[in-house]
Amino acid sequence: MMSNTSNTINTILKNPHNGNSFELKSPLLCASGTFGYADEYEGLVDFNELGAIVTKGITLEKRPGNAGERIFECDFGLINRIGLENIGINDFINEKLPILKQKNINFILNIAGSTLEDYEKLSYIANENDIKALEVNVSCPNVKHGCLEFGLKPDLLFELVKKIRANYKGFLIVKLSPNTTDIKPLAQSAQSAGADCISAINTIRALGVKVNFENNKFNKKFVQGGLSGACIKPISLYMISQIKQVVVIPVIALGGIYNLNDLFEYISVGADAFQVGTANFLYPSIASDLAKALKDFMMKNGFSCFEELKKEILNG
Amino acid sequence: MKDYKGQINSIENIAKDVVKITILSALNDCCPGQFISILCPNKIIRRPFSIADFNEKEKTITIFVKYKGEGTKYLQNLNVGDYINFIAPLGHGFKIENKKSLLIGAGIGIAPLLFLKKELDKNNIKNYLISGFKANDEVIKGSDETKIGGSVLDDIEKIIEDKKIELIYSCGPNTVLEKLSKIAKKNNIKTQVALEKVMACSMGVCKGCAIRLFRNNEIINKTVCHDGPVFDACEVMW
Repeated sequence: MMSNTSNTINTILKNPHNGNSFELKSPLLCASGTFGYADEYEGLVDFNELGAIVTKGITLEKRPGNAGERIFECDFGLINRIGLENIGINDFINEKLPILKQKNINFILNIAGSTLEDYEKLSYIANENDIKALEVNVSCPNVKHGCLEFGLKPDLLFELVKKIRANYKGFLIVKLSPNTTDIKPLAQSAQSAGADCISAINTIRALGVKVNFENNKFNKKFVQGGLSGACIKPISLYMISQIKQVVVIPVIALGGIYNLNDLFEYISVGADAFQVGTANFLYPSIASDLAKALKDFMMKNGFSCFEELKKEILNG
Repeated sequence: MKDYKGQINSIENIAKDVVKITILSALNDCCPGQFISILCPNKIIRRPFSIADFNEKEKTITIFVKYKGEGTKYLQNLNVGDYINFIAPLGHGFKIENKKSLLIGAGIGIAPLLFLKKELDKNNIKNYLISGFKANDEVIKGSDETKIGGSVLDDIEKIIEDKKIELIYSCGPNTVLEKLSKIAKKNNIKTQVALEKVMACSMGVCKGCAIRLFRNNEIINKTVCHDGPVFDACEVMW
């Protein structure tokens, strides 16, 4: 450990295969679907402390999302079945992109599709609009067609990422699903098809059930969707440890991140950056607060840079 | 909209399973129909509450907390002097118009209407607040007329006619509001309803509390937390 007062949590995610990189002011990012298109959180978050925000999943056409109940709270977790409600890529480019650019907010565009062609078009549009980083959602459990289908079959994922890579020159992140028996072949497929980075994990398929006995009868409620929050952290830690066995590209961790220790745990299995998701609902400023807390910790304990801290945790 | 630290100024039981909590904070502006979102320990999402009163001079807001589970239990067990964290003011409230108004509250739904009534009175807008409760011990005071048992909507058309009502504001369970929307359509009377729905982010970001409206021959999505919670009853697709 070195003592140094000019500590910094800047970090660069870099693909060692092709040199593609994405620079972050801090390793703390806000996860897709939990932060809208960023402007909604103005006044509650210190954007200067955030590495980047990942936009809500964007599809080619705008989507109304699922009808009925979309949220189910359970112990230490949240099940959602939003169904990718979003404004569509055109409205994003015309309405949201100028705001993000004007406010100088570093962002990653999250895209999702039902067909290979959807992803091809979306990545082409992203490239044309000079979007610096793309997160490919192949793991949403809440839509009927496509999306997760691509994320569960290594050969299909390879083909998809290859096509996106051909269209898109920026920093390409593939967000993997935990809804598989073995995540390793999927991570390998993403990497060999040209992904620069992996983010893991998306939500886990789950069923929320509520049974009430009222007026002499049982009332039942079922909400099937994707589980997130504190309860999924051990699953994500396992998945990332598996992914790190087979890839050299950087990994962004997601799943139940609430405090500094969670960051350290994810670093210990090889994570290079973090996305805060469900915790944003409780504490809208949590990602920027964690970035400050990380800086304070590093200063107090004599770490001059985030890389040094990572090395110490991994090798210590 | 901001993150506030609030201190419990008073807490009292006002009906079966319902406590009234007055919170002292730096919040200096809000309107009827808006809500606050409170952080509850060990819960994965915040708990939303309609603002039942706002005292600008004393810097207090009032909420009614009905026991539902662990989150509301925590709030009901707070003591005077305790601190809570909340985000406020959230959502878009009632659009006040200078029209003879009928306010209809079903159960705990009376909360935002008490605040609304105060504002209407302040602006000399004629109004009549009618509330309905399942039983005697559930009654929350403050209405011009209280119904116990039955439906708060019984005889409502007669009241609309007798009192020459021009505008209705309402809050309560969806079943009541849906029924009211039919009465509103039939009588061609503008009706604003404050809806309740489980919400995760409470600021329009996650789309967890989306509802569908039928407007200009088109189906559109709106969030209860951000676009609402107040909507035109005749537009809501129940």
